[in-house]
Amino acid sequence: MGDWVEKNTVLEGANAMPAPTWHYLKMNDVSIEVPASLRVEPAVATAVSEQAVAPAGTFEYSLAMLQSWWDARWPSRVPISGAGADDAEAAYGGTAQSAYQRNADALEASQSLEAAFATGVGADAAGLLAQAAGDPIVIASDEGQNVRATVTVLGVADAFSSAAIDVVAGMNSTVNLDIVVDSPEAPENAAGFTGTTVRVLAGFGAKVNIRRMQTLDAGFDDIDDLGILTTDGARITVSQTVLGGNRTFTGLAADLRGDKSRLDIDLHYLGHGEQAHDFNYVVRHHGRETECDIQANGVLAGKSRKTLRGTIDLIRGCKGAQGNERETVLLVDKGVQNRTVPVILCNEDDVAGNHGATIGHVNAEQLHYLRTRGLSEKQAEALFLESSFDFALGAAPTEQAAAGVDRLARAVLGRSVVLDESEPTEGSR
Amino acid sequence: MGELLKIRGLCAGAGDKPILHDVDLTVGAGETHVLMGPNGAGKSTLGQVIMGDPEYTVTAGSIGLAGEDITEKAVDYRSRAGLFMSFQAPVEVPGVPLNSFLRAIVAQHEELKLKGKRYKKRVAEIMQQLDMDEKYLNRELNVGFSGGEKKKVEMLQLLLLQPKLAILDETDSGLDVDALAIVSRAISMYRESCDGSLIIITHQKRLLEHFDVDRTHIMVNGRLVETGDASLVDDINENGFERFIKAAPAASAPAESEGDSAPAHFDVAAALEHMEEALAAADAAALKDTGHPLDALSADQKPGA
Repeated sequence: MGDWVEKNTVLEGANAMPAPTWHYLKMNDVSIEVPASLRVEPAVATAVSEQAVAPAGTFEYSLAMLQSWWDARWPSRVPISGAGADDAEAAYGGTAQSAYQRNADALEASQSLEAAFATGVGADAAGLLAQAAGDPIVIASDEGQNVRATVTVLGVADAFSSAAIDVVAGMNSTVNLDIVVDSPEAPENAAGFTGTTVRVLAGFGAKVNIRRMQTLDAGFDDIDDLGILTTDGARITVSQTVLGGNRTFTGLAADLRGDKSRLDIDLHYLGHGEQAHDFNYVVRHHGRETECDIQANGVLAGKSRKTLRGTIDLIRGCKGAQGNERETVLLVDKGVQNRTVPVILCNEDDVAGNHGATIGHVNAEQLHYLRTRGLSEKQAEALFLESSFDFALGAAPTEQAAAGVDRLARAVLGRSVVLDESEPTEGSR
Repeated sequence: MGELLKIRGLCAGAGDKPILHDVDLTVGAGETHVLMGPNGAGKSTLGQVIMGDPEYTVTAGSIGLAGEDITEKAVDYRSRAGLFMSFQAPVEVPGVPLNSFLRAIVAQHEELKLKGKRYKKRVAEIMQQLDMDEKYLNRELNVGFSGGEKKKVEMLQLLLLQPKLAILDETDSGLDVDALAIVSRAISMYRESCDGSLIIITHQKRLLEHFDVDRTHIMVNGRLVETGDASLVDDINENGFERFIKAAPAASAPAESEGDSAPAHFDVAAALEHMEEALAAADAAALKDTGHPLDALSADQKPGA
């Protein structure tokens, strides 16, 4: 394949918060630079049963089919202002609405699922990743079916390697999708770009479980782009582990359209060296009694940087909805930079939105306890780093992912985290 | 038996508050000592000072372990030298799985030679003995654990590390009968497996029923006021600490402020309202040395001011 771009590509406004905060904080979004002259080389391996593979266009077709379901449920959508979209500004004297409110109103008024569907990093990134990936991997489950799929994306030196994945989960079916992003064969000091863009439609009562583990070497940048739409009673779990890479961008946008649908997000990340992690979660509650739970746990060491935006949007009509976001960040070294922007938008009564965060260094009591067991202060802090790898090893979806965790541990910690070379790891059992 | 722990003339305090006064204590290898005393006597403080808690300052005296003066040594050094302390309320450490923690602490004790399969096997054995599910290994250290589970984790560490001397600070508090039996069994196993020495801080006799006690010490107001054999435990169980409290010198200042702190408070409001009672209370408590309880009051608080 030839060169991908002749000049640097910059994706502006990526991982954007739907309702921006103060611009001077420079946290509303991020710019993603894709270096020039990267070869397009999607080094992707897929393992999925043949009957679950569907043709391209299945996602778009299914989304269009769902439109009539949504139209029947909400014959006339009431926008944020309580008036028609065109009247919204007038209702506030022509000045009260922000750009976000105007856009949100217009989107609600349009009733269009297609227009509302979004991925977390954004349309530009999704387009780039999909274009570079070539044919999408489309996984579709029939009613009641149980489907398991594994997609492995390899980081290749001087290449842009990506996969575009669509998941359409039929009624009461279960889809388990594991995504492993690793660079096991990249030469030392290799640089490259990887990414996945995933779109999920969860049918009535469907369960979709996605695990993504990223263990790239230090020269690679990575984009994890995910968009989800649920119908009634759908259950989605997303587990993301971000251990490696140089600059990483993780974005998830979910539209909980169906009543009583639920999304659970479990993020574990480690920042070390000069890594920069950027996370963006946007969960829109449209359906009644929908629930989301965002759990982010991270350790920042060295001179690593991290930004996490978490927006829970409780849209008019989502009575009984509950959104929770909880973050725990351990700051191991003084040189780290941690930024968090939790946002709860609420335009409905009888809903609950909760946010909590624990951010700080190892406290004196914890440190004393660890020292009474023989660990020096430095060793106690290193324990938190090692534990990130241990957690990841335990959660590794495949043997290759476990090997990636151990490879990265050797690079970062200088030793293996696998208990005994001759024994299987927790994750490979 | 050779002397393992030798404390001489130990005085220590927190900030500018003296808590321990001229403590002498010798524990021989393989011996089990029980440390008893009323709340606030300084028992936990003694344990913490032996362990080297930086919250406390040693102002006089020395602590020797196996012939080495460890008075100035850091906490982690003392652990590696063979000291262990089981905490009353073990701290929760989010982000660190129990297994990662155990591996890390075992690695600091090379003499144990517990690596790879040997480590796994030993941990599995101990967990079985403690009636613990191995799933605990993947849980964050003490996070969300019940009181009994936390104490079991302490015992797991005790059996894994096999220290020369273990200080068990009210390990039996808050345990139900079954958990108490398991903890008691764990202590017996520790003694048998490595002939380890023990200082058991407790208010109860139940924990001591399953093994022999060599010496019993009574601490009041930061001083060791009595030492005897195992029968002293029964004596305390029947008669309480009253005679020791009456006979003991008063603390020179209010004792430490944690769970094991002395209730040496003087209630100003009560003093003004019930002068006679307050005088008696003050006489027995911290204001004794100030001459008159009202000396402790500021001028505008005094009657008639």
